[in-house]
Amino acid sequence: MLSIQHIRKRFGDVQALNDVSFDVPDGQILGLIGQNGAGKSTTFHSILNFITYQGSITWQDHAFTAQDFDRIGYLPEERSLMAKLTIEQQIVYLARLKGQSAKVIRPQIDDWLARFAVKGTRKSKISSLSKGNQQKVQLICTLIHQPDLLILDEPFSGLDPVNADLLKRAILDAKQRGAAIIFSSHDMENVTELCDQLVMLRTGNVVLHGTLQEVRNQFGKTELFVTTDWSAQRLANLPGVAQVTPRQPGQFRLHLSDPAAGPAIFASLTNGHYIEEFSQQPPTLDEIFRMKVGEGHA
Amino acid sequence: MKAMLKTWIVTAETYLRQIKSWSFFFMVIGPFLMLGLTVGISYVSANSASSSQEIAVVGTNATLRRNFIAQHPTDVNAKVTTVAAAKKALKANHLAGYLVLTTRQHQLRADYHGNKALSKGVQAQVQNYLTTTQQAVNDQDAKLSAKQRALLQRTPQLKQHIAAGTGTANLAKTISFWLIVTMIYIILITYASITAQEIASEKGTKIMEIIFSSTTATSYFVGKITGILLVIITQIVIYLLGGWAFYAWALSRPHLHALIGQYQALINGVLHNLLNLNLVYLFIGVVLFTLLAAYSGALVAKAEDASKAAQPVVMLGMVGFFATFPFQNNLDALPVKIMSYIPFLSSYFMPMRIINGTVGLGTQWLSLVIALVTVALLSWGIGHQYQRLMLQTDSENIWQHLFRRHRA
Repeated sequence: MLSIQHIRKRFGDVQALNDVSFDVPDGQILGLIGQNGAGKSTTFHSILNFITYQGSITWQDHAFTAQDFDRIGYLPEERSLMAKLTIEQQIVYLARLKGQSAKVIRPQIDDWLARFAVKGTRKSKISSLSKGNQQKVQLICTLIHQPDLLILDEPFSGLDPVNADLLKRAILDAKQRGAAIIFSSHDMENVTELCDQLVMLRTGNVVLHGTLQEVRNQFGKTELFVTTDWSAQRLANLPGVAQVTPRQPGQFRLHLSDPAAGPAIFASLTNGHYIEEFSQQPPTLDEIFRMKVGEGHA
Repeated sequence: MKAMLKTWIVTAETYLRQIKSWSFFFMVIGPFLMLGLTVGISYVSANSASSSQEIAVVGTNATLRRNFIAQHPTDVNAKVTTVAAAKKALKANHLAGYLVLTTRQHQLRADYHGNKALSKGVQAQVQNYLTTTQQAVNDQDAKLSAKQRALLQRTPQLKQHIAAGTGTANLAKTISFWLIVTMIYIILITYASITAQEIASEKGTKIMEIIFSSTTATSYFVGKITGILLVIITQIVIYLLGGWAFYAWALSRPHLHALIGQYQALINGVLHNLLNLNLVYLFIGVVLFTLLAAYSGALVAKAEDASKAAQPVVMLGMVGFFATFPFQNNLDALPVKIMSYIPFLSSYFMPMRIINGTVGLGTQWLSLVIALVTVALLSWGIGHQYQRLMLQTDSENIWQHLFRRHRA
């Protein structure tokens, strides 16, 4: 388990991290979200000992040492490989630095290239690959030594939906074999889909922390999705409805000022008759993210 | 053990990448190409120019002409035998000129016709030949006795008395000095840029974050520097093998063998001066400058600044190189003694003193220990800061980096 307890980091006058705490148990995925400059990369750099910090970060109940390097897989925010090497040389070099034997890694390369649908052979020069394929090779370098702790900084950035799915599958495979995984993303859909828990940072402070459902439930079931022949104006006049947003003809999204108004709205809308859709939900992660960012700017 | 293995992985990667590069190939082959080109051009030039550099010797006295040609077969075109033929050949630029040898009433005379004056060498040959021949004619005409002839041939004598071996030893010192100083300078200039470039090219790239999540910065830095030093050693070994191969080839050629035999004492003296503590100084000097170049490379804000980063190191090397010039003939001067202890400068000045034989073994070792301690401190200091320097990708310049307080 990765455990981060009360870490603080200051760059000059800027408090980059302020009392950040969370755990990532083995076999779980934690999503780290927040605006640019919120402190996500600084958190990763603290875990990897790239910078000094106050507080405590432990891995399997001990402080990180050089001995733990081999069990970490790290994908930085910007992609970067050694352009003059071939795919094979690059993968073998980085895997050997992770304590793997070239003899063990070489036979696996073709499988990994196929798994990520990399356009190129093991003998292709890195410089000859497209940006997307270089990104996939970098992902292979991060995963091929089967790390127990995966740290992925914006892993989905720049990937098309097909390649994003390949990555998601690889992340879920790593989770399946018991790896603790922490990744940052601006795409709330990916976070919703993959994460067991999430942490939102705003200017170095933890503003949200918990499982996806816990976080969403904190905001109450204020979103109501209905399909009805009522007009938007008529819906807006219902008690407890703060805002009406048409989705499709006959389909509306109602934002409630009070979640408790749901049953009364249901009774009014149905009046004892069948309606196609009535779904009361908490806000989506995307909406929560926007709300929290908005609070910071208020 | 694991850290050591990772250091060697970095060393091997750095070494193989440099060795396989075209720039290394051309760097190694460059001097050989230059040498071959120079020899080739000289050979072609000498051959193509030979006919127009020759002179013809003509005249009415066949014996006089024949004796001159017999004594000086080179530089003379013996096929031209008449003044008319010589004039024609000169006009066609097939001759540099022609010499007309005549005798009138036992008085020898030589007239040279050409577009340029005779070279000093040929002029001396002609003058010498005429003097000797005229002397013989004079002796005959004067009807002198053998005793009188011997008396007239008496000349004053100048003899130099030089202590045995000193001349050769001094020349060996001079050659050794230039060899070692030039070697340090060339290696330094070449590899300071390569090292700074190698380090700086990685700065600002995220590959460093991946590497530092795999091994310690110190382990990586030591691996990198060791790789570069192995490249330097490879180049030196290639040159040593090349030199040895040339030497072996030269010994198999009779005329070169004789030449080497003539200078054997000098060659032995130079080798003796080089293959001692000086070689250690050469290596320590290269290590010191390589470390400094690596540090400079790590200080740049972006890879394009690498050439600028190497400049302070190159300048320091040049200062050391040129500072030796005024003291070549004054090796007991106080500045020489002081500079032979200062790291970076001692790489130039202590070998000078060792070659000159004006320094004791204790002093040599003291200077060497100072240099080694500097290597250790520099390695530790840079290794300690390396991660912070390499992961910084801001736009601060070298001086801001140097003087900025490390804020945790």
